[in-house]
Amino acid sequence: MTNTLPLADVKILDLMWVMAGPAGTRVLADYGATLVRVESAKRIDTARTLQPFHNRKPGPDSSALFQNLNTGKLGLSLDLNNEQARDVIRDLVRWADVVTESFSPRAMKMWGLDYESLRKIKPDIIMISSCLMGQTGPMAKFAGFGNLAAAISGFFNLTGWPDRPPAGPFSAYTDYVAPRFTALSILAALDHRRRTGQGQYIDQSQAEATLHFLTPALLDYTVNGRVQGATGNRDPHLAPHGVYPAAGTDRWVAIVVQSEEQWQSLCDVMQRPDLLRDERFSTLEARLTHQEELETQVSTWTKTLDPFRIEALLQARGVSAGAVSSTHEVYKDSQFTHQGHFVELEHPTYGHTTVEGSRFRLSRTPAQINRCAPTLGRDNQYVLETLLGYSEEKISELAVAGALE
Amino acid sequence: MLSPYRVLDLTTERGLLCGQILGDLGADVLKVEPPGGSPARRLGPFYHDVPDGNRSLYWWAYNRNKRGITLNLATTEGKAILRRLVPGAHFLIESDNPGTMAEQGLGYAELEKLNPGLVYLSISAFGQDGPKASYVDSDLVILAAGGPLVLTGDDDRPPVRLSVPQAYLHACAEAAVAALVANHERQRSGRGQHVDVSAQQAVAQATQAMILAAPLGEAEIKRMAGGVKIGSLNIRLIWPAKDGYVAITFLFGTAFAHFTKRLMDWVYEEGVCDQATRDTNWLTFGGQLFSGEGRKEYERLKGVLEEFTKTKTKAELLRGALDRGLIMAPISRIDEVVSSPQLAARHYWCEMEHPELGEKFRYPGPFVKFSETPLTYRRRPPLIGEHNREVYVDELGMSEDEFAGLQRHGII
Repeated sequence: MTNTLPLADVKILDLMWVMAGPAGTRVLADYGATLVRVESAKRIDTARTLQPFHNRKPGPDSSALFQNLNTGKLGLSLDLNNEQARDVIRDLVRWADVVTESFSPRAMKMWGLDYESLRKIKPDIIMISSCLMGQTGPMAKFAGFGNLAAAISGFFNLTGWPDRPPAGPFSAYTDYVAPRFTALSILAALDHRRRTGQGQYIDQSQAEATLHFLTPALLDYTVNGRVQGATGNRDPHLAPHGVYPAAGTDRWVAIVVQSEEQWQSLCDVMQRPDLLRDERFSTLEARLTHQEELETQVSTWTKTLDPFRIEALLQARGVSAGAVSSTHEVYKDSQFTHQGHFVELEHPTYGHTTVEGSRFRLSRTPAQINRCAPTLGRDNQYVLETLLGYSEEKISELAVAGALE
Repeated sequence: MLSPYRVLDLTTERGLLCGQILGDLGADVLKVEPPGGSPARRLGPFYHDVPDGNRSLYWWAYNRNKRGITLNLATTEGKAILRRLVPGAHFLIESDNPGTMAEQGLGYAELEKLNPGLVYLSISAFGQDGPKASYVDSDLVILAAGGPLVLTGDDDRPPVRLSVPQAYLHACAEAAVAALVANHERQRSGRGQHVDVSAQQAVAQATQAMILAAPLGEAEIKRMAGGVKIGSLNIRLIWPAKDGYVAITFLFGTAFAHFTKRLMDWVYEEGVCDQATRDTNWLTFGGQLFSGEGRKEYERLKGVLEEFTKTKTKAELLRGALDRGLIMAPISRIDEVVSSPQLAARHYWCEMEHPELGEKFRYPGPFVKFSETPLTYRRRPPLIGEHNREVYVDELGMSEDEFAGLQRHGII
């Protein structure tokens, strides 16, 4: 007997697009929520245009990113600039528990689909608006992707080398952090509604949510007045602490020594007992003051070995070490394989596609990931006929009026 | 919002944010620490740089809205007291090395018997089982295995991490989502479950699906400081300003062409590019770039844009971005983040009083704004054992003698 999925009773009208929003609702689909994802052919989701692509060729359904963000959702095509399409939206609001959107502020109001309008249709609706900087303030209209919110929120300046311009975290950092706060805010609001009957509006600034990942540095400023900067891979309290070159081209291994015992183990594995007696390295304090020499000594050894070999040698001795996996190696990672992190799904265009599974495991009611992201308008018939109970005639009318584009 | 729920937070320094999120949402979170205080209290930075268990800013960062009790779980008496707390709890969060809690007789299998409705969350580096479950963990090693590290940094230097550790924060936020998914299910079934959260899986989110390149037949994605490297194409996203740096999404094709047009209009107005450059078809330029024919022109354009940005301050560029609708933002330092007019206008920063120091400090504010149930910061991070009496005597009903005895014997 299979358990009913945790969120099987949750119905979501999902008007989010690109990255941060859809990543937040994807997890709800994994655990059984019914998500009707609305997209227009006249303004296809930007995520469809971003790589990696199937067979290196762009195409509307080729993006792995789009697949990964929208697995398990139903696809309904609607042109929100069409009044009849907006009537369909209103019917979906009556059907839904939750409405999500991540347009720039004011778009929903322009369409007459803002929270004040929707709550007249359904008083206990829960609505979340998620955008880079929030619905209010001088930067409310600020458009762009998570790289910009991350840049203006301090993450770029804290990533890189002290002697170089900031490197910045990879791509659009707030788009990876904010989705958790989107999903958990929806779930908390649902719990509140279940107990009180009260719906509500949630204003999410992706920047504000993500800033919680910098709190120690923010407090260091608001409490101590210190402006932290990028420190490469060094840690103020540990040494060695870094990423060292391994044998091969552009191969690297991360090594972190957390105690004197681990330092001894590292020297032992490196067959460098002399380092333990060297006064530049014999204590943590000494190592912290001689980091460059220390890094040179460690690198001399790491350069001679395969990074995965170093990982095995040091982990066996209780030292935190790990090869820096290439993007292709992550796909073959032994732990990910064990967990079934990568899931292969049937796909109408490509035969198969691969997505990531859930990032956590529930012991009794695990996620079910079994349907690929929608092609544009894939589930129009199901949504309009089965979920909304529209007649064939009404559906044709919508099509003729251009509402379903 | 979650005021009916109680959380037992047994986490080490790895798992603190999860309980804080539930506490911000209104749950009653009991932070359980060993006598003398959590090892997390030894992590800096410190208030006025003086190491002290009650003055760790790392501790302050992730223990707001919790009550603090001390309890020695290595002792039989300590375990017995925890077992008395379990029936009244809805969630338990732990982040010990996998297997440690079970060895202590406090694993899910044992505690479920005391409370079948308990949602028991385990946060770890690699998950509770599997070939890497017993690995010695660290922020760098998790990032190295999960994918973000290889994508970050200058290509002529080692891959680099964010200087503020991130891996476990991803896991904690993921765990808070998981807690509420399991909670929703519990309303129907009346039953809890064990939730296994892996930081490696959590940080994989920060690869933007690049780790799916292999099964799709796509090329490996490599790092490039201030940009993205796609094959031999270096997509640059960071430019120098007069007084620092700016991030500009200088891209082409349907999603970006109109932004780029507006940007190049400005560059032209300032006399930095010629008319022909301004009037490039940005819609089709993306295709030319990928096919190779636009490469040389792209390299030239990057130079043109740099020449433009160098003449402007970050503030001027941000003003222009807002007025002209450009996808461009300054790269802010921490002090600039804290003085952001946007965050001020939204009343983001929250002052919390620390009566023990006679001072107030600004904390990052609620992670979202709820219209009907706004999040509140009810409690500053607890001092060591601050709520022992309240919990053990007032709530568990211990006698004064019992309470004093437990203190004497180092149980609490």
